[in-house]
Amino acid sequence: MFINHFYINLFDALMNVIETKNLTKYYGKIKGVENLSFSVKKGEIFGFLGPNGAGKTTTIRTLLGYLNKTSGEAYIFGKNIDEDIVEIKSEVGYIPGELNIYGHLTGKQFLDYFSSLRHREMILIDDLLKIFNLPLDRKVKGYSKGMKQMLGIIQAFMDDPDIVIMDEPTSGLDPLLQQKFYEFLRKQKGKGKTMFFSSHVLSEIDKICDRIGIIRNGELVALEDIETLKDKMGKKIRVKIKEKPEKFKGPKNMKIKDGWIEFVTDTDIDCWIKLLSKYTILDLDINEFSLEDIFIHYYEGQT
Amino acid sequence: MNNIFRFRIAIQTVKEHYRITVIIALLFVLMTSMYSGMFPQFEEALIEMMSSGFGDSFNFLPHADQMATYVGFLTLELYQIFWLLILAIMIGFIAASSITKEIEAKTIDLLMSNPVSRKQIVFEKFIGLIPMVLLINFCTMLTVIGITMVINQNLDFGNLFMLHMVSISYFLAIICIGILISVLIDEKMKASIIMIAIIFAMFFINSVSLMNPHLEYLGSFSIFHYFDTFNVLKLGDVNVAGVFVFIALITVCLTLSLIYFEHKDIIS
Repeated sequence: MFINHFYINLFDALMNVIETKNLTKYYGKIKGVENLSFSVKKGEIFGFLGPNGAGKTTTIRTLLGYLNKTSGEAYIFGKNIDEDIVEIKSEVGYIPGELNIYGHLTGKQFLDYFSSLRHREMILIDDLLKIFNLPLDRKVKGYSKGMKQMLGIIQAFMDDPDIVIMDEPTSGLDPLLQQKFYEFLRKQKGKGKTMFFSSHVLSEIDKICDRIGIIRNGELVALEDIETLKDKMGKKIRVKIKEKPEKFKGPKNMKIKDGWIEFVTDTDIDCWIKLLSKYTILDLDINEFSLEDIFIHYYEGQT
Repeated sequence: MNNIFRFRIAIQTVKEHYRITVIIALLFVLMTSMYSGMFPQFEEALIEMMSSGFGDSFNFLPHADQMATYVGFLTLELYQIFWLLILAIMIGFIAASSITKEIEAKTIDLLMSNPVSRKQIVFEKFIGLIPMVLLINFCTMLTVIGITMVINQNLDFGNLFMLHMVSISYFLAIICIGILISVLIDEKMKASIIMIAIIFAMFFINSVSLMNPHLEYLGSFSIFHYFDTFNVLKLGDVNVAGVFVFIALITVCLTLSLIYFEHKDIIS
């Protein structure tokens, strides 16, 4: 029994590379994040979703020791962020949301400086420089926003860390580079690397993340596999009938928009189809929830 | 793992400041050459001025009555004002912005993403500013020696060496006050202005204490009170207690900076 328990704990510790328990950060009296409990598994791309000001950056900065947590616990690789933050950082790459790089250095000087601080072999630097073609001999202050972003990505991944925490990493990148970056992330995932991807761009989260956490007003409101979440949300039914739409008695969430009846049903579509069959149907749409719908669902009435 | 012994942040700090270091060093070489080189032409006029009581108007500076001697002239014109005050302002300005500028420009975000501790960042910033102090001291001292030999004046080079050794501890104390301000204040300009205000306030306090015997006790609150450049240069008389005050300032300010920065929220 004891041994079993031990192995289960060990297994969990090995699998959850990031784990937070009731992580809370207050800026004086102002709430940053409250009671965040989530875990990120090894080898997954975890999407951290929320609009600006929801607490995404506060979460990341608390996790990485930039901010002192008010209460709760957080572990990266089973190491406590309060005690082993320097050790943790040797395994974690970070792309800050507001990326600022020493303007007086050239791209090469900057990468050399950071390589010397990492004190590890920069095994991915050539691959990265092939994807992100940068004028490394030029001073960073002459770089465009996109070029700086590329340099930020390169420095985070160059020593192939086990986790990379990214705060809106694709801002400033053109669509072609974004695609290349997603490909690169998938490749890293294939190697068992873990990525924490914070964004408010739903399409990219939908495209590359395995699991998402949605944060609202500093609190986690959803934490699920994207597909499970979509299934759980049910189906969206849009229907146009010949009769007056008001005549149809749908569920509570039913709305009438431009003559279309719109409602969401969690599981059973059969009963609604049977009910609708009593009317003359002009048009019918049954759709899965998109991430955008999910997002709006969680944020309805918030903004 | 022992990143601290590789002093990468310190080396980067040195690289960042080499240009301003060279500029300040050259400035002091020029100024030193000018003041010491000028002395023979002014000697007679100065003796005359001193005998007519002109020296009294300089009594906010220590040993103002010695202006007509080479050591007195060097002390009053060069060391008392340009060295202890102006250079301290320059170095203090740089030290006060050392960490603040990384926070203000948000480059600290990326720097701290590396496996370096916060203590290491503060400590290495301090280490990285030491070569600036050493180089300026060394260049100024060599210039004084060179010019003194050329104009054939009397100066004890052993005392001059002592003066620059004490100067190093004095400027390191200034750097540490600056670093403490730079971890406390998040805006670069504000930090530098506060630093300059502190140096001026200390200079003012010292001057007041020199001019008014009733306020002599005030001088002990000023860093200038602990460094009498004339006594060192003329008599080789080093105020050991003063050196200990500098060392205490270095230790206390650096320790407070390390502790404060360790617990500071780095807000984006």
